[in-house]
Amino acid sequence: MVTAEVETEQIQLIKGDITLLEVDALVFYAEPNLELGSGFGTAISIRGGPTVKKELERLGPVGTGEAVVSGAGNLKASYIIHAVGPRFQEENTEEKLKTTILNSLRCAEEAGAKTIAFPPMGTGFYGIPLDLCSRLLVELVSDHLKTSASLKEVIICVQDAREFEPFRKELSKVTG
Amino acid sequence: MKKSTAEESRSHKAQVVVDRLGKKLNRQIVGSMVACVHCGLCTDSCHYVLSNPGDPTYAPAYKADRIRKIFKRHYDWTGRVFPWLVGAKTVMTDEELEELKDISFGKCTNCRRCSLNCPMGVDFATMNRMTRGLLVSVGIMPEGVATVSKDQWELGNQMGVLKEDYLETLEWMEEELQDELDDPSAKIPVDKEDCAVVYSINPREAKYDPRTIGDAAKIFHAAGEDWTMPSDGWDMTNFGLFSGDDELGGAVARHLFDRVQELGGKKLVISECGHGYRSTRCEAPNWAKYDVPFEMESSVETMLRYVKEGRIKLDKTRNSKPVTFHDSCNLARSCGITEEPRELLNLVCTDFREMYPNREENYCCTGGGGAMSMSEYTPRRLKSGKVKAEQLKATGAKVVVTSCHNCVDGLTDVIRHYELDMEVTQLVNLVAEALVIEKPARVPTVVEDLPLAGRRIVVADDEPDQLLYLATVMEDYGATVYQAASGDEALTLVRKEKPDLVTLDLAMPGRPVTEIYEVLRSDSELEGLKICIITGRPEMRELIYQRMETPPDGYLDKPLSEDDLLRGVRKVLELSHQEV
Ligand code: SF4
Ligand code: SF4
Repeated sequence: MVTAEVETEQIQLIKGDITLLEVDALVFYAEPNLELGSGFGTAISIRGGPTVKKELERLGPVGTGEAVVSGAGNLKASYIIHAVGPRFQEENTEEKLKTTILNSLRCAEEAGAKTIAFPPMGTGFYGIPLDLCSRLLVELVSDHLKTSASLKEVIICVQDAREFEPFRKELSKVTG
Repeated sequence: MKKSTAEESRSHKAQVVVDRLGKKLNRQIVGSMVACVHCGLCTDSCHYVLSNPGDPTYAPAYKADRIRKIFKRHYDWTGRVFPWLVGAKTVMTDEELEELKDISFGKCTNCRRCSLNCPMGVDFATMNRMTRGLLVSVGIMPEGVATVSKDQWELGNQMGVLKEDYLETLEWMEEELQDELDDPSAKIPVDKEDCAVVYSINPREAKYDPRTIGDAAKIFHAAGEDWTMPSDGWDMTNFGLFSGDDELGGAVARHLFDRVQELGGKKLVISECGHGYRSTRCEAPNWAKYDVPFEMESSVETMLRYVKEGRIKLDKTRNSKPVTFHDSCNLARSCGITEEPRELLNLVCTDFREMYPNREENYCCTGGGGAMSMSEYTPRRLKSGKVKAEQLKATGAKVVVTSCHNCVDGLTDVIRHYELDMEVTQLVNLVAEALVIEKPARVPTVVEDLPLAGRRIVVADDEPDQLLYLATVMEDYGATVYQAASGDEALTLVRKEKPDLVTLDLAMPGRPVTEIYEVLRSDSELEGLKICIITGRPEMRELIYQRMETPPDGYLDKPLSEDDLLRGVRKVLELSHQEV
C-alpha cells in the first residue's frame, strides 16, 4: 500500500487495493441487480465470504444513481455502499454520476460512518472518463465535508500512477 | 444544430457507435473499408468457412460488409451520394448492434489469416477489432468479455487472481522446486530489484497451470539467471487486444511497464503466450503511448538463448513421443516468431514433425480473439475446429506443442471434441523435462510423509473407471477416500463424513452438479469444505468464465495424469486465502 502524497486534512489519496482497507465504509460501483460479478466484486466475494451476497439478494434491484448499504462480511471494512452509477456513455452521465456520489455520501452518513473509501467511480470498465470522475468526486466530497455529520475522513483509493495523477491534480486545487 | 429525423429516431447507443466510428478511422482502417473488390479470394482462408461449407455468413468479406456499410453511409462520399449502389446503410437500433456483436465476437477470432490472401491489402481483423471496441464502449459484449475485462481493469489480471493467491502459488512452486532438486538455493525471487530478467506470466498459469511457473523457475535456476517475478503488475496478457478497448490495452501495459521500471529490471521476459506477446511487445507501447526503456523477449527466445550460450544442457531423449507444433496466430502471423520455436523443438525432442499448413499460414486453434471466454459461442467454436482437427490428425503426432496459453485451451477442446489421441503442452514443459541438472535429484525415500496423508476426500464421478482411478491415486498418496457415483451421493457422503475436500465431475446423472455445488456452498455446517471441479468437457470453460461469486477452490481438466492430479489436489488443499 502506497500512502498519500496529497492530502487535505480530511481527504487522502492512496494507491492500493480498496477491498483491503480498514474503513467504516467502502464504496463498490455496482450493477443495478447488485450482483457482485468480477473485478472488485471477486475480491469482495472471496475475501468477504458468502454473507455479503446473501444480504444483497434482498436489497436489489437498484436504480441508476441510487446506493444501498450492506455488511462487509470478513473484510476489514464495516459496510459496503453499493452505488449504482452510470455506465458505458449512457445519457446524462455527469448528472447521474453526481447523484451517485451524493447518494453514497448520504448512505455513509446514515450508517454513521466516520471513514469512507471511494474507488475512481465508474472509470475503467464502465468507461467514465478519469478527468470527469476526479473533478466530480473531489468537488463533491470536499463540499460535503464542510457540513458533514459523522464523516471525518475520505479516502480515494486508486490502483496505479495513471489513476493517481488526475486525482492529485484535482486535490491540489482544493488544498490550494 | 437541429438533428435530422434519422438521428432523432436512432437509439442512443447506435448514435454513439456512429459518432465514435468517425474518431477511430485511420489510414489503415479506411484502406480496408474502401479497398475490397469482393473477389472472394479470402473466403477459403477462414476456418469458420471451411468448417461450415454452404454458409455464406462466415465469409470474411460478408462479415466485413456488415461494418463497411455503416462506414460508407456516414464517412464515405460514395455512400452518402449513392447509398443503394455501394450497399451503404446506417445502424438505428440496439438490436442491430446485437447482430453486429454476434458477427464481430461470434464469427471471427481475429486470426488475420484472411488478410494473407487479400490482393487488395484488406485487414479485416483490424476492422473487426475496432468494431468490437465500439460495441464494448456502449456496453454491448458477450458476458465473458465483460467479466474478464472488469477483472483486468480492477484486479490487474484477467482471471480474477487475488494477490495473496498469486503469491502463495509462487511460494508453493518454489517449495516444490526445492524438493525436486534437493536444493534450497532454488528460488522464485519476488520483487527483487535490478535483476537481469523480470518474468511476467499469463494468469492462467497461476490459476490452472502452476506447473508452467515451476518449470520456468527450474530453467532460470539451471541457467543461473538473475531473475524475479513482480508481486503486482505481473500479468503480461492484455484483454484490450481482444475486446478492442485501446484504453484497457494502454492501462494494462502501463501497469506492467511501470512495474519493471520500479524494479529496475533490465529485460522483460514474456512467458509463452501469443496475444500477451503481441500486445506487450508490439501493440502496447502504442496504446499506452509509452517509450519502453528496457528490452522485451518471449521466453521461447530466452530458452533458446540459454541453450546457445551453453547455460543449460538438454537431453532430448527424455521427450521421445512424436511431437508437432501449432503456431499461434499472434506469434507467427502477427509477430513473425516462427523459427525460434522450431529450433528449440529440434533440440528438445527426438521426433518433431511439421503440421501443414504451418508458420504464418497455420489455422487458428479456434480459441483466438478471446473466444475461450465467450461461452455462448462454444458450439460454433467447436464446429469451426473441424479443419484444425484434420490438420492435427494428419501429423500422426501424440503431442502438440504450442507457445500460447489460449491455444492450449483451444486445442484441448478441439482434441476432446473430435476425440483425437493427443495431448497439448508447451515448450517450457518440454525444456524443463529435458534439463540436465548436474546435481542428481534426490530419490524420494519411503520414510517421507505421503503428501495427502491424513486428508479425507469425497470423490464423485459417474464413470466407474475414472472414479477408481481418481480414488486409487489419492489413496496411494495417503488420503482416505469416499467414492460417490452421483451428485446426490456426494452430498450425502459429505454431510456424513465432513471431508476436507470433495471433487465433482460436471456431467453426472441426476441433479445438475451446479445445483449440488450451490447446496454445498450454502450449508453453514460445511464452511471449510474445499470443492474442486474435475471435468473433461468444454462446459468447463463456461464455468471458469462465469466467475461464480463463491468460486470452486479448483478446476482440473480431464484426462489427468497422476502428477497433475496430485498437484491440483494439493494446491486446493494447501493453499488458503490468506490476506496480504
Ligand atoms: S480474421 Fe480469421 S476468423 Fe476472422 S474472418 Fe479472417 S480468417 Fe476468419
Ligand atoms: S480477398 Fe480482399 S478484396 Fe477479395 S473479397 Fe476478400 S477482402 Fe475483399
